[in-house]
Amino acid sequence: MTAVISCRGATRRYARNGTDAVVAVRDVDLEVQAGEFVAIQGPSGSGKTTLLGLLAGLESADEGTVSVLGHDLARLSLTERARLRRSAMGIVFQSFGLVASLTTGENVALPLALAGMDRDERRMRASAALSEVGLRGSEDRRTDELSGGERQRVGVARAIAGDPTLVLADEPTGSLDDENAAVILDLLTATVRKRGASLVLVTHDHESAARADRSIRMRDGAFLDGDA
Amino acid sequence: MFLLRHALQLVLRERRRSMAAALGVGIAAALITSVLLFGVASGTTVTRRALADLPVDAQVVLTPGADPAAAEAIVRSDPAVRDVLPFTLVHFNSATLQKSGSATQTATGVLVGVDAGYSDTTGLFQVAQGTSTTSRITVSRDLATNLGAVPGDTVRFALPGGGSADMIVSGITDITGADLILGPVDAAHRAAGANPAVDVAVIDRASLAAIAAGVPAGATAADPGAQGGGPSPVFAPEPAVRQELQLRYDHALLPGDPASAQTWLTDVRHRIEGRGAGTFLVADDASDSLAPIAADLVWGQILFIFLAFPGVALALALSRLAADATADATRRHAALLRARGATPGQLQRVFMGATALTAFAGALVGSLVGVLLASLRFGSELAASDPVGAVLRAVIIAVVASTVLATAAAAFPLRDQLRQEVAAGRQELQRARAPLWQRLYLDVLAIVAAVVVYYVVGGGIHPVIGVEGNPTVTIALTSFLAPLLLWTGGTLLLLRLSQRVMARSGGLAGWLERLLGPGGDLAGRSLTARAGAASRAIVVLALSVSFATSVLIFDATYRQQQRVDARLTLGADLKIVPTQPTDASAVAGLAGPGISTVTPFVDRIVYVGSEAQDLLAIDPNTLPEVATLADTFFNGISGADAMAALRSQPDSILVSDETAKDYSIVPGDRVRIRVPDVNGNLVQVDFRMAGIALEFPTAPKDAFLVANQAFVAAQTGNNRISFALASASGDPADVANSLGTRLGTGWQVTDLGATNARLANSITSVDLADLVLLDLIFAVLVAAVGAALFLLAGLVERRRELATIEAIGAEPRQLRALVVGEATVIGVSGLIIGVLSGAVVGYTLLQIMAGLFDPPADFPTVPIPALLGAALAVVLGLAAAVFVADWALSRLRVLAMLRER
Repeated sequence: MTAVISCRGATRRYARNGTDAVVAVRDVDLEVQAGEFVAIQGPSGSGKTTLLGLLAGLESADEGTVSVLGHDLARLSLTERARLRRSAMGIVFQSFGLVASLTTGENVALPLALAGMDRDERRMRASAALSEVGLRGSEDRRTDELSGGERQRVGVARAIAGDPTLVLADEPTGSLDDENAAVILDLLTATVRKRGASLVLVTHDHESAARADRSIRMRDGAFLDGDA
Repeated sequence: MFLLRHALQLVLRERRRSMAAALGVGIAAALITSVLLFGVASGTTVTRRALADLPVDAQVVLTPGADPAAAEAIVRSDPAVRDVLPFTLVHFNSATLQKSGSATQTATGVLVGVDAGYSDTTGLFQVAQGTSTTSRITVSRDLATNLGAVPGDTVRFALPGGGSADMIVSGITDITGADLILGPVDAAHRAAGANPAVDVAVIDRASLAAIAAGVPAGATAADPGAQGGGPSPVFAPEPAVRQELQLRYDHALLPGDPASAQTWLTDVRHRIEGRGAGTFLVADDASDSLAPIAADLVWGQILFIFLAFPGVALALALSRLAADATADATRRHAALLRARGATPGQLQRVFMGATALTAFAGALVGSLVGVLLASLRFGSELAASDPVGAVLRAVIIAVVASTVLATAAAAFPLRDQLRQEVAAGRQELQRARAPLWQRLYLDVLAIVAAVVVYYVVGGGIHPVIGVEGNPTVTIALTSFLAPLLLWTGGTLLLLRLSQRVMARSGGLAGWLERLLGPGGDLAGRSLTARAGAASRAIVVLALSVSFATSVLIFDATYRQQQRVDARLTLGADLKIVPTQPTDASAVAGLAGPGISTVTPFVDRIVYVGSEAQDLLAIDPNTLPEVATLADTFFNGISGADAMAALRSQPDSILVSDETAKDYSIVPGDRVRIRVPDVNGNLVQVDFRMAGIALEFPTAPKDAFLVANQAFVAAQTGNNRISFALASASGDPADVANSLGTRLGTGWQVTDLGATNARLANSITSVDLADLVLLDLIFAVLVAAVGAALFLLAGLVERRRELATIEAIGAEPRQLRALVVGEATVIGVSGLIIGVLSGAVVGYTLLQIMAGLFDPPADFPTVPIPALLGAALAVVLGLAAAVFVADWALSRLRVLAMLRER
């Protein structure tokens, strides 16, 4: 069985004050299998989001390798990484990441539009994804008319609209109240599992992490002993 | 101190904000400084040009009985004096030539006595035909024509006091440029614009001294105005003999500014007169020549500033775009200060202080750049006119004006940003409201006011012929008010309309998507969402292009009219004057290399009733190929129709407006005119009026008649021409040189360039090329910086959105398409609106300033290559802005942006 994600000794440093370097991710080994739900837990500043950035190809590892669906991300150009994100990944952001100038439907269809999909087809798939997250008929609503919970539903719909193999979620419930947080988490896990996709959830919340197939704790950029 | 310290901290900590804000102010200050220095340099240009053609700077007129040697010693001792040229002038009452049994006589004139070398030093009295021989005279062309004198003839001059002198003619002399020294020297005569003598004979000074000795002491010149009317009741009669020392000053010592130069000249005159009190009086020719220029220059400088005003306003508008681009930094720092307990009032003061500090720094740097630019472009002219004082004045004005205006311009957006920050802090709701000027419709009111001012109050620039014959210019302040109101109202209306269009441009995203793919779609939607900022960027770009367009159209028309003015005065590219009586048949022999077409031209005094007028007899077939015949030269008939009438009906005549009114004649009426035959006898010739001519080549603004040369020759048997006009196929100056060499001494050739330089003694003498170049550089710079600020503001404002779009799979080229799409819409809209509004503003400027040109332009000249070049420069500026924005986009830290709360 091919691992969807394969990290070997991945390390990421940031320069600070010119000379000092902060090691945000330190020597991380991680494998995520197809359909697996992995939660990465840790306090603020532990390197969770940076690790997610490495997995999404938004950052490059200074040491080690990061492979997604068999592609060594270090060997891919910026354009190839963008295409990989578009075709195989869905990303959910803590602060929703909606484009204010687009309607709800257009936001969901945005990755499809970037992939060059036909306007009618992407509209249809966006409507389907919105229905799946409980926002049927909301295609033409402005995003600033939506509540926080609704916005994150749109974020989830956008992540799944392209039927990704891998969904990366960065604190998706961090901006929501408990009630909405539970709903969103249910939606996210349900829709991802329905597609048989893998889910990597970054969170500092134990309850959220408890739903995962596997939970990994991070501190100071590294996985704690025994995890991973 | 608290506020100053925090303001300074804000400037230093928010360096990007400070630099963006300083940039616009710097450009404005650089433009103001360089335009002010251009005005100073143009003063030097007009001063130099005015004095360059002057044969002598001053005439020291000796009182009767004064010792010339002592007087010369006095004037030579003055450090300003470079050359001292003795000069004698003796009036004659008449000149008579006995020839072939008949006598021809002229009225009054002057005998001039000069030393050898005088002509070389001053350029005056060049021998055009024959030779200059001791004890023989060379006569002016008028005297030769009036007497029919040729070398070898003996002319008798009747002198004041009853004596006479017989002198042999050895040649013909050119008295061009000698008006001031041949005319009266006393202030009263000069102020009244007394005409100089045209019947002139030049002889060596020693020979003239012998003649002058025969004139009784105290004898006076016959008063030309006395003919039929007795002596003048106003002016004292001129002494019959005038002894002068003519002075040429060291022009290197002259200040460049005409007013300062006049002061310097007056000081020199006072100094010399003081030393020679009672011995002589000084006529200050140089100062008299500069008087109209000093007044004109003030208006010229206002005109230059006015031409640059839109550039300054635009540069200051960048402050607003800079405020948009740095709004985030403003809010962030305001939040920080609020967290530390700053009150809203303190916030306002700290930020306004920081804005003023930034504006001052930007203005200072910009002003120094302006000084550098000005030094590079017109350093030598500046050096001649108190450069330190001029630069200091320009820098102070530019820094103060830019700082105050930029601070005021930034105050409103800053106030709004701080209000938003405070409201956000208080969790208040902000209600979007249109700006005050939109609610009051100030844009529409300004345009209406412009129309009212233009049509009701009037204005415009009018040339005025001074009593001394020098053209000066009067400009009503309202001249500038109408275009100023139009420009301001148009700008605001443009802002209102573009904001509305951008906010409702639903199809824009689809159009851009087809053009640029998904990035284009995002660009279109983003522009609609940011309609306010987008419309401000479009307006800045459109006005930059409009500014460049109007300046280019104005400059091209200005140059074109300078050429037309010179062509109107000279008649054509080349004027070829025979130095002896010549028939029209000889004109064909002038054709040759460099000459496209040549045409005969007759300027003869004729009589309409008892009134003497100039008859211009021309060849209507060839003249239109040689001379400019604008429709504005004629009244009720076009130039082409006027020439067609002279061709088809050879007895046709064009008369002046005044003649038509005085004699109540209309087209079709018969006009009987007395025209001299070859012997000077008047012959009656009947013409038929074909139309009214207001101006005509060689005769701007004079009373004249225009007829067919062949017809006039046939009717009078007089086929002699006054001169020939020719069009040059190459550079007129080069063709004139080669033609002069080919024709030898039988003809005298004058070219357009020489005439242009002679005419160039007022506002139109200033070459606007440097000013236009400066204005264009700044227009392109403002356009590029404006576009870059808009694009960068968009990136800053939407950085999280852009990070999201990149995270969900946007390729670099798709993100680039977003920037390119926005720049394309801004650029295309700005260029189209700019060119159209620039054409309107340029046309309005020309209408307002039509009086500067003689004749006024029929149509504005549209310099297509220059406009395309300016458009290309703006496009390249936009491309640079896109490049900067793309670079900033590539440095976007996606993860960091996504983490921002």
